[in-house]
Amino acid sequence: MEKATVVVIGGGATGLGILRDLSMRGVKALLVEKKDLVNGASSRYHGLLHSGGRYAVKDQEAARECIIENQIMRKIGRSCVEPCGGMFTRLDIDDEAYEELWVKGCADSGIEATPITLDEAFRLEPRLSRKHVKSAYLVPDAAVDGFRMSWQLIDSSKRYGGQLKTYTEVIGFDSVNGELRGVKVRDQFTGAQYEIGCDIAVNAAGGWAGFVGKLAGVEIGVQPDKGTLIAFNQRIVNHVVNRLHKSSDGDIFVPHGSITILGTSSMSVPDPEDTSTSREEVESLLKIGEQTFEDLRDFRILRTFAGSRPLYIPPGGAVGRSASRGFAIVDHERDGLKGLFTIVGGKFTTYRLMAEKMCDQICAKLGNKTPCRTAEEPLVEEVAEEDKARAKKFFPSYGVNLAATRLGVDRFKKVVARLEADPESRELVCECENVTRAEVEEICKDDTSFIVNDVRRRTRIGMGTCQGNFCALRAAAVFADMGVEPSAKDSLARLKEFLQGRWKGIRPVLLGRTLRETEMTRAIYELSMNVTGGEPQ
Amino acid sequence: MKTSDLIVIGGGLSGFMAAAVAADRGQKVSLLTYGSGSLPLASGAIDFLNAKAPDAAIKNLPDHHPYKKIGAKALDAAAKFFVDVTAQADLPYVGRLSAQIPIVTAVGTLKYSALAPESMDASRLADKKKIFVVEINGLKDFYAKMLADNLKKYFPEKIFEVAKLDLNLLGGRDITCMDAAQILSGNEQILADGLKTLDAGDDDAIIIPPILGLEGNSSRAEVKPQLRAQIFETTCLPPSPPGIRLQRAFIKYLQKSGVRIFENSKVIRAVVDGKKVSGVVVENSVREKIFPAKKIILATGGFYSGGIVMREFDEPREPIFDIPVFFPTGAENWSNKNLFGDAPQGFSMTGIFTDERLRPIDESGKILFENVHVVGANLGGCDKIFERSAGGIAISSAYKAATV
Repeated sequence: MEKATVVVIGGGATGLGILRDLSMRGVKALLVEKKDLVNGASSRYHGLLHSGGRYAVKDQEAARECIIENQIMRKIGRSCVEPCGGMFTRLDIDDEAYEELWVKGCADSGIEATPITLDEAFRLEPRLSRKHVKSAYLVPDAAVDGFRMSWQLIDSSKRYGGQLKTYTEVIGFDSVNGELRGVKVRDQFTGAQYEIGCDIAVNAAGGWAGFVGKLAGVEIGVQPDKGTLIAFNQRIVNHVVNRLHKSSDGDIFVPHGSITILGTSSMSVPDPEDTSTSREEVESLLKIGEQTFEDLRDFRILRTFAGSRPLYIPPGGAVGRSASRGFAIVDHERDGLKGLFTIVGGKFTTYRLMAEKMCDQICAKLGNKTPCRTAEEPLVEEVAEEDKARAKKFFPSYGVNLAATRLGVDRFKKVVARLEADPESRELVCECENVTRAEVEEICKDDTSFIVNDVRRRTRIGMGTCQGNFCALRAAAVFADMGVEPSAKDSLARLKEFLQGRWKGIRPVLLGRTLRETEMTRAIYELSMNVTGGEPQ
Repeated sequence: MKTSDLIVIGGGLSGFMAAAVAADRGQKVSLLTYGSGSLPLASGAIDFLNAKAPDAAIKNLPDHHPYKKIGAKALDAAAKFFVDVTAQADLPYVGRLSAQIPIVTAVGTLKYSALAPESMDASRLADKKKIFVVEINGLKDFYAKMLADNLKKYFPEKIFEVAKLDLNLLGGRDITCMDAAQILSGNEQILADGLKTLDAGDDDAIIIPPILGLEGNSSRAEVKPQLRAQIFETTCLPPSPPGIRLQRAFIKYLQKSGVRIFENSKVIRAVVDGKKVSGVVVENSVREKIFPAKKIILATGGFYSGGIVMREFDEPREPIFDIPVFFPTGAENWSNKNLFGDAPQGFSMTGIFTDERLRPIDESGKILFENVHVVGANLGGCDKIFERSAGGIAISSAYKAATV
């Protein structure tokens, strides 16, 4: 039987953070994830690295955690964080009294909030509504790429011996006399069921933590809370722009590279798998968003998406916006199952802290006294300037940095060597995100690449301006050649699946220039490629 | 500015066709275009309808369908005129409305069109013994192995061979089919020599990406006689050489026929005189200018080309004449859960409704302008992509509008 000291359940930021932390402390850890990594709230969010300003009035403990972790993330995840800074703006319709509370809250929480004049605010953010904005402050918010940070967490964990298995679902727990012996899992592709022996298991399944708890017969107070977001095809803002009011829907704009994400709504849902979005949600976000940016509707929307926050609800606690953004650790020894822990709640910004606290408890149980080092050691080594210079011969310099940080030192070296040796591998599979064939093929070989979408999340093919119009065909062809799963050979099915995945996020925002893109997709793939195929009727 | 007999607004397939038909009948035509039209995106084939015999199937369409307004006579005449125009521009097309021609796509499916460029007509593929699928070193968007694997499903009994030719195309950047077609134009011998090395015989077929030049049939005419096997071009991702050839063939024909083409001319509004339009106002970088005309054909396209726009949900507009636009209301009717499904997409049915003479009408059926006619993707009431009728509607509505 396969064995690990600790099995971590859930491949989101929290689980990956725990895997890294344990591995660095010399604990043999294995992470299992039922789908692909960062498939839940760790990628389905606005990508805001909180300064804590958003929590400064209501939840100062969360605010303090945020500002501390914010500084740590910038240090350990340099290439994942875009230090764009943040701005809080109060509109004429917002409560003036709240501004005072907020300024005091920031001061009390250790968040530097610098008031600026309106002239300065409009200079920094020219699209802000001259009509509505009444005051503005700068805070140390930033943008963080949840995907990239997660890939780097994996690389870091692996360097210290951490292991992971994706598409491996937990289906039960094995215990003897109230003591955990192992975790029963199922391979999602082959259907094979087997057990992984362990002393300790950590339920870090986020929105799914309640389901995992049920398998062990324990009750966990987690409420999936769906948040819907909109990605625009332009950089509308230079800073993270927040509304200075009591936190509500649609009041955060986060710039990421060449796009902007507007979020978020908040709706309790029974099922964390519910990532559906609707025209009504989009319309409601736009209505609120255009109070801050009046010309919002002139920008092309790329897509909409949703994820579920795993809100922790203690017995009798509040739900939705009022629920705490803090986190909780439960030792299920209290429920009669020694060796099982659950960690729920929290947010991406504080995933490292959550992992540290969790690992402190695990290590105490294991008698491991190695201190946590995750706050000091950078996630990955920096890619050498020399390798970047070599790569610059083959891509635009904008693409070099992106590729370097998404691939990491070793893979980047391999890809650059391939680009130098084989001119055909320089073909851009995805022009929007500057992804070469060499990179796609390298990622196809990775042990977490099973289906085209796994490769998409790693390389970002299909996630840019054209939303797969051009790269869907190329990705399907390359994957048919390289893919490990037999299903990869069915290139037409994979191609349609890939575009259908994009369609899910486009459908609720099908207006304006998004309509043009969709008509182009259909003209290419239905008229020119006849992917719906067959004989004429 | 002298008054034109006809002003055509839009430089896509339907606009070109309308201008060509009118000019052929001796009218003084001005064509106003803005942007490049959608032909460079198109496969080059003209689809009439997803049916074994499009002419027969058209009879069963609902009354609001554009084909019902256009009528069988115009359809037939349009197809004949189109074949004639393209032949005169040295871009031979084959086909007829009572049958469908198979074309090999870049992903290895077959697509069926009523009219197809001769270079893509794969009707005889079924008679071939061995099929060579040839990719070109450094040419992107053409994956011979994927194509062959998918095409095998249509021809399981045939022998397939995947081959790769090095034509020294690789340079500092990616090479698309359009680049390759441009490079090979006037330089066809390297391709012919490469294809000869395959040693394909009389009974064999060679499938290549659409790289046989960007002008008419001249590149193909150079290569074809040197080979024993028959060569077939596929469709490709845009920019598409067969679409560009068609665009150029029309422009050549229009110039020869005396049509005045005004590029970069964005029409912003009409000069309305009661129920008639006496001209259109064009805005370019310098100033606004009025183009007077006796008759106007609106061929500005659908959502793709900006002939119909929609800034807010449930508010699609036709921006020049502000003609009412038919559309399915509500999120549920606007689009389907599946991108590629077995039902038309609501948003794609959005467009203008007309009378039998293709004049725009309002909800009550009242004709809005006596001398404005609407063609191509501006027309509503059917999903032209789903039912594979985009090309057929474009040329037949244009023919009708130009002849009424």
